[in-house]
Amino acid sequence: MTATLEIKDLHVKVADTEILKGVSLTIRQGEVHAMMGPNGSGKSTLAYAIAGHPHYEITGGDILFDGQSILDMAPDERAKLGVFLAFQYPVAIPGVSFANFLRAAVSNVRGYKEKARAGVSSNGETGAKVIGSELMPMREFRQELLAKMDRFNVDRAFARRYLNDGFSGGEKKRGEVLQMAMLEPKIAILDESDSGLDIDALRVVSDGINKLVADGMGALLITHYQRILNYVKPDKVSVFYNGRIVLTGGPEIAHMLEEKGYGWVETEMGELAPAAPDHA
Amino acid sequence: MNIQELTQERYSLAAVRAISEQYQEPEWLRQARLAAWEAFMALPWPDYSEETWRRTRLTGFNLEQFPPAASDLPAAADRQALPADLARNLAMIQSAGALVFSDDRLIYADLDADLAGRGVIFTDLRTALRQHEEVVRAHLGALAPAGENKFAALHYALWRNGAFLYAPPHVALEKPLQVITQVSGGQALFPHSLFIGAENSEVTIVEDFVGGARGLCNGVVENYPMAAARLHYLHLQNLETSAWNVSTMRAAAQRDALYRQLQASWGSRLSKVWIDLEMEGPGSHGELLGLYFPQGRQHIDHHTNQNHKREHATSDLLFKGALDDKSRSVYQGIIRVWPGAQKTDAYQKNDNLILSAGARADSIPGLEIEADDVRCTHGATSAKVQDEYLFYLMARGLGRKTAKRMIVQGFFEEVLNRVPVQGVRDKLEAEIAKRVGLE
Repeated sequence: MTATLEIKDLHVKVADTEILKGVSLTIRQGEVHAMMGPNGSGKSTLAYAIAGHPHYEITGGDILFDGQSILDMAPDERAKLGVFLAFQYPVAIPGVSFANFLRAAVSNVRGYKEKARAGVSSNGETGAKVIGSELMPMREFRQELLAKMDRFNVDRAFARRYLNDGFSGGEKKRGEVLQMAMLEPKIAILDESDSGLDIDALRVVSDGINKLVADGMGALLITHYQRILNYVKPDKVSVFYNGRIVLTGGPEIAHMLEEKGYGWVETEMGELAPAAPDHA
Repeated sequence: MNIQELTQERYSLAAVRAISEQYQEPEWLRQARLAAWEAFMALPWPDYSEETWRRTRLTGFNLEQFPPAASDLPAAADRQALPADLARNLAMIQSAGALVFSDDRLIYADLDADLAGRGVIFTDLRTALRQHEEVVRAHLGALAPAGENKFAALHYALWRNGAFLYAPPHVALEKPLQVITQVSGGQALFPHSLFIGAENSEVTIVEDFVGGARGLCNGVVENYPMAAARLHYLHLQNLETSAWNVSTMRAAAQRDALYRQLQASWGSRLSKVWIDLEMEGPGSHGELLGLYFPQGRQHIDHHTNQNHKREHATSDLLFKGALDDKSRSVYQGIIRVWPGAQKTDAYQKNDNLILSAGARADSIPGLEIEADDVRCTHGATSAKVQDEYLFYLMARGLGRKTAKRMIVQGFFEEVLNRVPVQGVRDKLEAEIAKRVGLE
């Protein structure tokens, strides 16, 4: 079955300011939907609202995953459903190794915890709960991690480094792709995954997205620039402006924006109101 | 005998004399006790305008309410015969020797026969006093004297027992030695720890304090790493959260010695801990690591002193604390560099992680430098666990509690990585996990 993420007339407030003013779109597994828009148009707010950030207040509309509302779900519950947010600015957690963090995350998302509670240990045996049984077995995890590091061009040294601590901008974005590859989401929201990347890092990130989409992941690719769309071919492109989607079409829209710039959107849409702050 | 007389007897010159009588103590020790009692009487109770007490108040503390500790646990013939929790605690570390105290009574002791044969003395202070009086006399109270503060004075007037170690020259112990003191509830205990690492020796001591509900634990620790010795002292304060804890600790590192202390202050309703590191010899190296994680209304106060008296010595201090609920921590530290202590390299850092709006951490680092060719660095940070951090981890599928635990454990990692004994590290991690709350 193909999973869908459906956003219906979404209105979102941050600290009493309405940022999203009625956003509707549908993302399907295996599709890439590019969302372009100027800074401050509310793109990141949309990303955070989908992932369930507590500071974003939904004042209207709904977010449905396979027809069921996820608005009442905590961020970790949404992750377990198969929703992933690649952060524009991943935070650094000193003292927590990438591998340990990812093992806990993967174990939670794949339900090792539930299996352990039900008395089924990670190797399938039933019986008393053992320490560590809530986690994916180390050997299995390691094998998968190393294989995916190789497949997604991420240095194996990442595993032992502290999560995003002292990472360059490019390393952080590669790390997000690796996390995405390990968590195997159905739908991923990629918030400016291309920003601040040199050409090599951009290739690695794009290549990762393409592989996962080929495996069946759906992607909402949020970007300011057309550049990444030279590497990741979108099925649909929407233009986001002042808290709304103002235009949706095929890949040709991205080229038009590249030529005419966002000023064209402003003129064309007759929206001259000041842009809302971008809460990235 | 009425209650009035009873309480007077608890803390009186007569009570001090009675201890010397009971143990038939040598004259020098009787005199030392009397001098300590005099110092105790002469010193005022903490004056809150004094810098060291400005942020720590003894509200609700009344010395008279604590009778002297009277152990009721029987002696044990082997480790298995100890009460289960003590036996379990011992088993967490692979040690070459252990002392278990029930208050001031040594209820169990063992030591690797080979080490005993090589001259290692690991016993209670009472036994050491009988068998090695001159060694005890030369060191007891020589480093942390009775006049140090009012609590130290009280300690020297009333101490009854404690742990004693002597590692002979050039003897290196591969496995650590363990001391556990089970403190009875509602009473006052004055444990004294005296550890001597002779020239070029190496030893690791892990000392635990447990129990002590509603009581007072007023200890003094003296560590003597002699020339080129390596002495590692891991102090795990695991008292009940209703205990009062006052501790005066001092180490003196002689020429080229290495002294390393870990201070884990988990328990007590209030802790006032002084840790002084005396860099006595040129080329000596000292490390102080601290951990604390108060909850509820716990109040944990550490006052450290890195005292550089001689040249080419280095010291490195890192204290990290997480604070929850309405707890409070005070860290006050000073690096002192004496005239002539050139090429000193001293570092001091205190980091706090605030987990609750009601918690508060005060950090007062300081420097006093009287030499001109030195490198001294100090710093303090205080951070809150921000929603952005929790959100990032939760968006990866971690539950809120797991996410918080991961951040806190990561915060302590810098200290845990430097803990030299795996069993201790495991214990510390378990304590941290318990405090964060397992999901």
